Amino acid sequence: MTKKAVILAAGEGKRLRPFTETMPKVMLPIANKPLLEYVFDATRKSGIDEIVVVVGYKKEVIMEYFKDYKNIKITYVTQDRQLGTAHALLQAKKHIKDSFIVLAGDNIVDPDSIVKLLKDQSEYSLLIKEHPHPSKYGVVFFENRSIRRIVEKPKEDVGKYISTGIYKLPRSVFTDIERCASEGTHALSSVIQSLVDKGKHINTVLAKSWMDIVYPWDLISVNEVMIQGIAASTSGVIEKAVTLKGPVTIGKNTKIYSGCYIVGPVVIGDSCEIGPNACIFPSTSIGNNTVVHPFSEIRSSVIMDDVHIASNSHISHTVIGKGCIIGDSFSTITGKTMIEVDNEFKRLETPIGAMVGEDCIIESHVVVDPGEIIGRKCKISPMKHIIKNIPSESKVM
Amino acid sequence: MLLESLKRLDYRGYDSAGVAIIDKKLAVYKEVGEIVNVEKKIPLLKGTTGVGHTRWATHGSVTKENAHPHVSCDKKIAIVHNGIIENFSKLKEELKKKGHTFLSQTDSEVIAHLIDDAYKGNLEDAVVSAVKKIQGSYSIVAVSEDEPEKIVGVRKESPLVIGVGDSENFLASDITAFLKYTKQVIFLDDGELCVLTKNSISVFDKNRKSIKKKENLITWDVKDAEKSGFAHFMLKEIYEQPDTVHQVLRGRISEIEETIAFPEPVEKLLSKEISSVHIVACGTSFYAGLIGKYLIEQLTNIPVFVELASEYRYFGSRNESSLVIAITQSGETADTLAALREAQMSGCKTLVVTNVIGSTATRISDGYILQQSGPEIGVAATKTFTSQIIVLFLIALKMALLQKKLGSDELYNYIFHLKELPRQVRDVLERSNDIIAIAKHLKDAKSVFFIGRGINYPLSLEGALKLKEISYIHAEGFAAGELKHGPFALLTKETPVVAIVTQDETYEKILANIGEIKARGSTVVAIAEEKDIEIENHADFVLRFPSSSHVLPCIAITVVLQLLAYHVALLRKCPIDKPRNLAKSVTVE
Repeated sequence: MTKKAVILAAGEGKRLRPFTETMPKVMLPIANKPLLEYVFDATRKSGIDEIVVVVGYKKEVIMEYFKDYKNIKITYVTQDRQLGTAHALLQAKKHIKDSFIVLAGDNIVDPDSIVKLLKDQSEYSLLIKEHPHPSKYGVVFFENRSIRRIVEKPKEDVGKYISTGIYKLPRSVFTDIERCASEGTHALSSVIQSLVDKGKHINTVLAKSWMDIVYPWDLISVNEVMIQGIAASTSGVIEKAVTLKGPVTIGKNTKIYSGCYIVGPVVIGDSCEIGPNACIFPSTSIGNNTVVHPFSEIRSSVIMDDVHIASNSHISHTVIGKGCIIGDSFSTITGKTMIEVDNEFKRLETPIGAMVGEDCIIESHVVVDPGEIIGRKCKISPMKHIIKNIPSESKVM
Repeated sequence: MLLESLKRLDYRGYDSAGVAIIDKKLAVYKEVGEIVNVEKKIPLLKGTTGVGHTRWATHGSVTKENAHPHVSCDKKIAIVHNGIIENFSKLKEELKKKGHTFLSQTDSEVIAHLIDDAYKGNLEDAVVSAVKKIQGSYSIVAVSEDEPEKIVGVRKESPLVIGVGDSENFLASDITAFLKYTKQVIFLDDGELCVLTKNSISVFDKNRKSIKKKENLITWDVKDAEKSGFAHFMLKEIYEQPDTVHQVLRGRISEIEETIAFPEPVEKLLSKEISSVHIVACGTSFYAGLIGKYLIEQLTNIPVFVELASEYRYFGSRNESSLVIAITQSGETADTLAALREAQMSGCKTLVVTNVIGSTATRISDGYILQQSGPEIGVAATKTFTSQIIVLFLIALKMALLQKKLGSDELYNYIFHLKELPRQVRDVLERSNDIIAIAKHLKDAKSVFFIGRGINYPLSLEGALKLKEISYIHAEGFAAGELKHGPFALLTKETPVVAIVTQDETYEKILANIGEIKARGSTVVAIAEEKDIEIENHADFVLRFPSSSHVLPCIAITVVLQLLAYHVALLRKCPIDKPRNLAKSVTVE
């Protein structure tokens, strides 16, 4: 039985900038836990007892965070240049003796689907998933569960099933990867396609739940789904006349001051100070060491560690990066907006607010239009109305 | 065997320890402080069923009563517990009404009584009914004198693993505890319950349905696992600093309430009339003390004397109205302990800054403040040094506050900026590539000078100490103004100088000092603020720290110095975690 997993966590996640400027994509927080921890947890629950993590971009952030994660053996290998998924996998070669599974560290998958993959009789198997917009992914065409073709990011929405990038593979695949590498191919899906072309049988297994984060605003929708699964538990100090409804998790040493109204699902980290008289509404996660001053309202948002939010702020469907200092009366406007992605405009299906990168200093009475991305380490003067994206390390005077 | 296992967990830190062993009757031995204190109390025992625990206080202070294991009223059931019981006060009241008497202030003790309350001859039934009433996180292990062969364990959100032995089985919060005896383990998941005897292991799910769990063979080296992928403990500990500076502030400052809070005995010590402060320490802690001198004098105007513990012990002034602050990471540094005792003999009040709760220093002083930095394994102190500086700054703020020398705006400003420290450390770590590039210029030096003015002078000393202890390059720290009074004689073209430059009232002076050094042909590496452009015209190389460091820029600068020393030592292939001739905790005089 396959017992080892290789988890690919070396990538930067350029499309998730500015949030990935200081951490790899796999460390983006969902309900106060990095994406990678969900992958570790699911892998462990499926019966895997050893994982090899391929790290590269900002690897120290990963290694420091997981220093106390001892439920499973973790071995790190480094991919110095991020050439492609097959090249990443190749770095783990010397730690693999038998068949193994490979997963992307930035996709959330349920443990049952991994178990299904592990139990599949075929030597090669791929976990696939139905998707309404397959064109963003590798579309899988198959007959009798056996793969015929994988088409990477087709121009139009053809097909119905996409590749989750989660495979069960025999050790011999490393020889195929090396062969393809000598021909200049470094993507795992291309290696698999070459095996299909040679007549290899590669089974498809249908996943139950699988989620991917591609753009910054995906953090909000994925957070909304994953926060449902968090069991309520409160510690810290909760003053009198605080209302907590629904599942609310409050971390150690956090203080919730009188008059706060918090409606779960909400997750608040350690050593935060909230209130008095602040309102936090569903699907919001707030990291560690964050302060929310009186009369502020936060809704459907992801607020990371060490953030400072002054009084009278209105924050909705918004992501705020680590260490931001937000002045009073900050306002996000929420709406279904047009967003420029990969040089084309598309209308988002869900409303979004602002995307604020790490370590920004925003002074009082700043208003941000829907979907605007403020880069890392920006400074914004009082009373500004932000109507376009602001690149990192700029000043708005 | 139980004690041996507990000792394997001691890298986690603890303040008290205890064991319960069934040898016909249940016997409990527990003590404050180190495991050896318990060991001394235990007679030769024949029991084969037992539980042990090391505690780090959460509910209730560090006392023998509060140490685990806890027992029921009839002393037949003993439990150990990790985690926090949220609804323990309510449960305690209910149990008291039923006639249970409590011996400790802990949340954990209610578990022993709950199990006792439900006990009808079957321990696992009683445990199940007890945990149903508990809210919070826990891993609990229970034994009963009436069923001497049996150990019952249950977990929720706290770890618990089973070790599968040969006619012996183990249960622990961390594999390390029993790795010496078996490498076969079973991981329990949340809500699961297990019953162990000498020859059997059964596991049940939430609904008491028996389940089959997979055994795992542990093949890895525990030491490596603890390094978590980092090449050295020192590097891991440097990268932990965004978290440890957060930990040292944890529960101590409140921005909304504008308060700085310490345990009551400490507040009492600081609120007294203090004529002078004596800081006693050794090594890196001594340098933290020198920085503390600048911080305390600046905020309170009380004179501060910093003394090497080994010297203070025999020399130096004693004054009953002075406060003696001893800084010792381990709490066991022999020289510092001797200085502490000496201070107490002369009637001084004593305050200890340490990382180890329950250490000798915390027991013999009038009050202590914990650094909360977690265990440090690398011999070169890193995260504990930055935490010590922060504790000293908090002491300075608190003293100023109690003596009404600090306005409320000023205080708010300090607290606000203290909260920014984690991001400043992160910022420096982000720039590690620049530091690696500079390390290449220092690696072949025979000797390196570190210079600074004001608070940057003790930082220069620390920078030099880090470099010499791990890279074996001779390094000296100097007050920049002192160079021309002697050290210049040693300066050659081959002596790189690291200058710490902050844009304060000494800025022009340090630029002049850099000019003097450049005139002698030496290479100058400046550590300067991000927005300081002028420095480019003076130094050969510049390493940056964030300009937003309004309060305690020395923390960000220290991290630059640590990374510099580390990368130089790495290039020279030195044994970074275990430098020759040095030990982590110096318990000899």
